[in-house]
Amino acid sequence: MAIEINNRLGLANVKSDYIHVAGRKLEDIHDELLELEAKGEVKVIHVKDENKPIEAETLFGWKKKIPTNKLWHHKSCGQCGNIPGYPVSLLWFMNKMGLEYVDERNQTSCTAWNYHGSGTSNPVGLAAVAVRNWHRAYELGLFPLFHCATTFGDYKEMRNLLVEHKELRDEVRRIMHKIGRELVIPEYIVHYSEWVHVMRFEIAKLKKYDLSNVIATVHPACHTYKMIPEDCIYDKEIYAGKRTAVSTGVTLALGAQVADYSTWYDCCGFGFRHILTEREASRSFVMDRKIRPMVREAHSDVCITQDTGCTTTLDKNQWIGKAMGYTEQVPVMADVMFAALACGADVYKIVQLQWHTTDWRPLCEKIGIDWKKSEDEYNAYLEELKAGGKTVNLYEYPK
Amino acid sequence: MEYDENGVSIVPFEFKKEIFEEAKKDFRYEEYVRGCLNCGVCTGGCPPHRFFDFSPRIVLQKMKSKDPELIWTMMDEYVWACFQCFTCAMICPFLNSPGGIIAILREIAVRRGFESAKKVLKPYSRVLLKLTAYGNQLSPDMIQPDFFPDWGPHIGYASTDLAVKRKAIPMPTLQVTNLAWDVAPETMKELYDIFDEAGVFKIIEAVDPSLYEIIQDIVDDVRSS
Repeated sequence: MAIEINNRLGLANVKSDYIHVAGRKLEDIHDELLELEAKGEVKVIHVKDENKPIEAETLFGWKKKIPTNKLWHHKSCGQCGNIPGYPVSLLWFMNKMGLEYVDERNQTSCTAWNYHGSGTSNPVGLAAVAVRNWHRAYELGLFPLFHCATTFGDYKEMRNLLVEHKELRDEVRRIMHKIGRELVIPEYIVHYSEWVHVMRFEIAKLKKYDLSNVIATVHPACHTYKMIPEDCIYDKEIYAGKRTAVSTGVTLALGAQVADYSTWYDCCGFGFRHILTEREASRSFVMDRKIRPMVREAHSDVCITQDTGCTTTLDKNQWIGKAMGYTEQVPVMADVMFAALACGADVYKIVQLQWHTTDWRPLCEKIGIDWKKSEDEYNAYLEELKAGGKTVNLYEYPK
Repeated sequence: MEYDENGVSIVPFEFKKEIFEEAKKDFRYEEYVRGCLNCGVCTGGCPPHRFFDFSPRIVLQKMKSKDPELIWTMMDEYVWACFQCFTCAMICPFLNSPGGIIAILREIAVRRGFESAKKVLKPYSRVLLKLTAYGNQLSPDMIQPDFFPDWGPHIGYASTDLAVKRKAIPMPTLQVTNLAWDVAPETMKELYDIFDEAGVFKIIEAVDPSLYEIIQDIVDDVRSS
């Protein structure tokens, strides 16, 4: 076993020639899905050449094709309502790279945040919503790309349940016929962070700023790698294949330092219900288990996330820590937002950091970004819009 | 439910047995409840265990006991402490899923309209309304200082000129204030049909009848538009 350690801060770029298997070996659901397709039981949304796939390895070393083109954006309730710079940064990169995609009104929530928070649904409801949205991508001839980690976790689970349980398939098929749709399942369930990961070297080519003095800590989202753990990208060159590679991969590719901290595996404290109705639990968790270790152990300049709920929870719950005498603060943003900043995207119009509550200005100053200029231009833009001006969009609805 | 003179519920054993049988009938049960070494790895890694009287090891052990009395003790506030992060499921050497069991038990609690579920979910009704009536969960106009005072003074950013700030987001789908993204009415109608067929509306009726009435009014309006 060859291990090379060259990062004074931790394990992020430790290399290894073996892959972590966590003591488990399961059936590859992908093969079972293709068998069902061959029997005519389901239709499959395949990754085609026109999707320009890039292959990655998952936990057991299985291959996963990540489509990079002709994508259907499956948006996130929390990102769109609360962290708009998250999806905008993703679209900004896709435009820069000349990739094709559709972002439209014909999409529902995956409803899984609600399910994990309140229990007010069931597997039939969740699976039917999933297939409804998958089918929308299918009829447009596109491959669905899921923005939210809970959508990713839920849709991986629903795919597995649909493949393994005929009764569920029959029930969902019945409901789909009722709404004029069919039972289709994507060949791979793909999270946007996987797109960012496989595109990280292309993204790094667009880099405008030197990030070598920036220390980042990565918070991997539970529903990315703890739900259906075997279907998540691992890389032998990142954490020696012992932790998921997404988000860390792009941060390293951009030249930032990724520092380790002792509670990396802990959740963010979102709790689905707790963040809305029992926030003292979320607040305590954020400060005691995440932000303080990130700052005190790793001297982190920025916390990099890969999910809606984590970004919200970790960002919004730092201010209240002052009531307990906690002074540690660290700006929080998703990998794609951090990458967009590094590649010169406008702080206000694209990365939209103005919606975040923890101060991100010191990070911008450390990188060398003139956020004040961006703020002045944005305020002038708002005045233009108030006076009846038109929005400069990254994307227009298909005619 | 019957109560004694101290307001403590008197629940017949037969009813508790029925709840256990209902959990066991769920098609995910066999996958979530396997052998248990009682090693406690799940509880050691469980985030809410640090702040609540909650242990995934106990959840699994009680299910393994097959004792309806023991399982019944989890049906009140206990099941609502779980964060649903699935750390327990990932680290269990036997591939049990205490988080999955919690999901099954919560479904039963809301489906049967337990008082504890009603109480826990009461402050959640605004979110439930948004999701079931409009097709997405969190809207920009919900992020207001009166609802999130603990998120600090900057949270007021979203309460002034929200419409123009949303208009400045360069994605047409996001240029609305009352929804996370602008969901087409035809899409909402499909979601309502799914909720009807999957019994989701019925669940909401059981756990919050007044909210259900409000949702149905909106659903009727959208369906007739």
